[in-house]
Amino acid sequence: MLSAMPRRVRLPFSILVAALVAGAPSACERRGGCTGSYCGTLIDAAVGEPGTLLPTSTEEIVARDIEEQLFLKLADVGMSTNTVGDEDFQPLLAQRWEWDGPLTLVFHLDPRARWQDGQRVTATDVAFTFDAYNDSAVASPYRPQLKRIASVTPRDSLTAVFRFRERYPEMFYDAVYHMRILPAHLLRPVPRDQWKTAPFGRAPVGDGPYRFVRWQAAQSIELVADSTFFLGRPRLRRLIWRFTPDLGVAISQVVADQADIREQVVTPENLERLRAAPQIALYPYRGNVYTFLSFNQRANGDTAKPNPIFADREIRRALSMAVDRASLVRSRLGELGKVPPGPMSSLLWIWDPEIRQLPFDTAQASSILNARGWRDHDGDGIRDRAGQPLAFHILVPTTSVLRKQYARLLQEEYRAIGVRVDIDEVENSVVGQRVGTGHYDTAILSRANDPSPSSGIAQTWTRAGFGGSNFGRYANPEFDRLVDRAIAATSPDDARRLWRSAMDLINADAPAVFLYSLENMAAIHSRVDNVQLRPDSWAALLRGWRIPSSGLIDRDRVER
Amino acid sequence: MTGVVWLLRRLVASVAIIFAVVTLVFILIHVAPGDPCVGSDESARDPAMCPLLIRQFGLDQPLYVQYGRYLLQLLQGNLGYSFSLHRPVRDALAETIPFTLQLAGVALLIDFLVGLGLGIYQALRVNRLPDLVLSNVTLFAYSLPTFWLALVLLLLFAEKVKLFPLGGPSDPVLCPLIDSAYCVADRIWHLVLPALTLGLVGAAGTARFQRAAMLEVAQQDFVRTARAKGLSERRVVLRHQLRNALLSFITRFGLTLPFLLTGAVLIETIFAWPGMGRLAVDAILTRDHALVTATGLIASTVVVSGNFLADILIGIADPRVRVAADEAVPLLPA
Repeated sequence: MLSAMPRRVRLPFSILVAALVAGAPSACERRGGCTGSYCGTLIDAAVGEPGTLLPTSTEEIVARDIEEQLFLKLADVGMSTNTVGDEDFQPLLAQRWEWDGPLTLVFHLDPRARWQDGQRVTATDVAFTFDAYNDSAVASPYRPQLKRIASVTPRDSLTAVFRFRERYPEMFYDAVYHMRILPAHLLRPVPRDQWKTAPFGRAPVGDGPYRFVRWQAAQSIELVADSTFFLGRPRLRRLIWRFTPDLGVAISQVVADQADIREQVVTPENLERLRAAPQIALYPYRGNVYTFLSFNQRANGDTAKPNPIFADREIRRALSMAVDRASLVRSRLGELGKVPPGPMSSLLWIWDPEIRQLPFDTAQASSILNARGWRDHDGDGIRDRAGQPLAFHILVPTTSVLRKQYARLLQEEYRAIGVRVDIDEVENSVVGQRVGTGHYDTAILSRANDPSPSSGIAQTWTRAGFGGSNFGRYANPEFDRLVDRAIAATSPDDARRLWRSAMDLINADAPAVFLYSLENMAAIHSRVDNVQLRPDSWAALLRGWRIPSSGLIDRDRVER
Repeated sequence: MTGVVWLLRRLVASVAIIFAVVTLVFILIHVAPGDPCVGSDESARDPAMCPLLIRQFGLDQPLYVQYGRYLLQLLQGNLGYSFSLHRPVRDALAETIPFTLQLAGVALLIDFLVGLGLGIYQALRVNRLPDLVLSNVTLFAYSLPTFWLALVLLLLFAEKVKLFPLGGPSDPVLCPLIDSAYCVADRIWHLVLPALTLGLVGAAGTARFQRAAMLEVAQQDFVRTARAKGLSERRVVLRHQLRNALLSFITRFGLTLPFLLTGAVLIETIFAWPGMGRLAVDAILTRDHALVTATGLIASTVVVSGNFLADILIGIADPRVRVAADEAVPLLPA
């Protein structure tokens, strides 16, 4: 081949080939040899990248997945995701806990717990963490969830005391679920208003089962197992989150065996592609996202005036009854979705198919619209009243293919009962701005639930959410009262009964059409064993996953 | 002396253009609809925290105050903080620019080597079968949307045939850092599909451009004279025809840079290439004002510099341009 080349090119080409050949053996040597039970590399095909790995400031799901491995909570919910009481919680940093009166909770830290720089984890760290999460300068999104905790103080180096403002069933959940304990000795010197941009967030030192290795912007984050982790050495030696901006490419990486896991496949098309990949095993688990068509009950752009269409409860009910939610879920999501019995995902323990819902009944929807004066007077196929057509816009983000498809399907369903719908596809930030300021008729919005119904439902559907995330300004004092009572209920049975009454009521009021709740399906390489997926956080139990030595492949054995 | 004045004039004009672009981008991103405080599910943030964040990043100030502050920072070499990435913009750009340069550089190489070669080949066989076939092929390739071609190549060569990797700049396990010749090869392997996508579409355009330029020069008297002198065909083509046709090629170089940068935005997204284009898209979607303005600054600087360089090269290659420039500069009164 060389002889065929022009003489000028021969020398540089030879040097390049020599360099590659010389480099190749060193790389091959590195492939050598981890063997045994603690090898294994897991590559996650992640869509999106965290902004920081400082737990006070992160909201992205991928950031929380990574932080699960780096920073421990005092305790965590169990597989049941029951958030009431403390029976179903698993100890982590706290070895044990006890109640010291109705409003005081005492945690005893595990004396074996260490920060990865060798310092002990102490009760001072716990108190420091609570203070930081509550500091307005840190601007933590989790601050509202901690408002019922009055104080956290160290009693001694391994004992932290939580004092609450009031008694309620989810006291323990609030104490442990929202905060990951932070190293006071490393973060105290950093001014709080600079935490969001602190270098610590890009090279964190934690106390979890994995240590941070490197973060390559827009490429990957790598963690390595801490072999001295006090709760047991993790079985997978290396975790890599590989970032791609496109879900389709992420799925392709798993199909082509260039990644090991995609924790959410989202669409039936992706599911089919993954089913055809022989090395992939699929694991279903409950989803935490629900999507709804929000009706703005105030005038578009003027929250002081009622909306001429959606302020009328009967019209909202008719528009809800005109939507065949079950068929939509079947056609667009298949087994990856369910019709929610209210504003909730299937993650919540209050999910109950027996909750009363409005039926799909176009005849009844039409008769309600007729009764309210909305008839097709001019024969153009669109109902009208006093010269005004029954027409509205659906606001939908361009980034969500699924929601755009839903908008088109809704447009068709409403056309069938004489309602004209226009679709506004805009960027997510514009959707946020418009719904936040009330500049919309209807919008297809999604909400993610944490395992407790208390905060999410109150924030989005009660008067307390006005100016917050109750964008449609739904207000029913009876619903608010039921939610307050359900949150405060001391027995699970009472809470369940009250939540059900609240859901019956909100469904009857129809402030939105609750379209679908996503069911998760994780695609994981079949060589990975002992896979446990906790519905609220698939990565919470990652340290127990393993790859048997018989299943190791090249990337598992790589030594660096 | 007049050449220096010409250079200074072009330099001042270039700086003015960059300044105008930065100003325009700054104003547009600030007045564009969209809320920088919106989380991934349109609502995640605590409403009480949004005003705090907006104050922290100075977004509550009037636009002219923000602009004045931005210019002051810029003069000190400070590009500001990215609130979506939680880090200085300078750091984010320093990590991504090399990737875009690698991609655009290799794509440019493919574009010009393949394009130039095909253009010359076609011009030497004008209206014969190879020329007709290549004309149609290049027209077809030039008409292809780059994102479509990227998806097809990805599906075919990465997912089906598994010849190339599915996105990213390197193997995350073996080569997270380039610390060996093996990892250099790994980087090249990862670069093949994105660079080919960008380069081939450009090469099709360059080939058509170069063919036309070669044919135009072939009509000139000096080419006929060279042949009449009895020079070999190889010498006529390389010494006389190609050298003169290269002027339009240099012009195309200046025009190709914006194409490469805009093309890189899509290609970087599809191939998960961690370059500036992808950074810019994410910044626009999250309304990260400082980051958007900074990427505008860098992109305009590259494009203006490329055109500036092309002007200089044309001046060097074509004495007529130098003379015209000299004549355009008024002489000082005696």
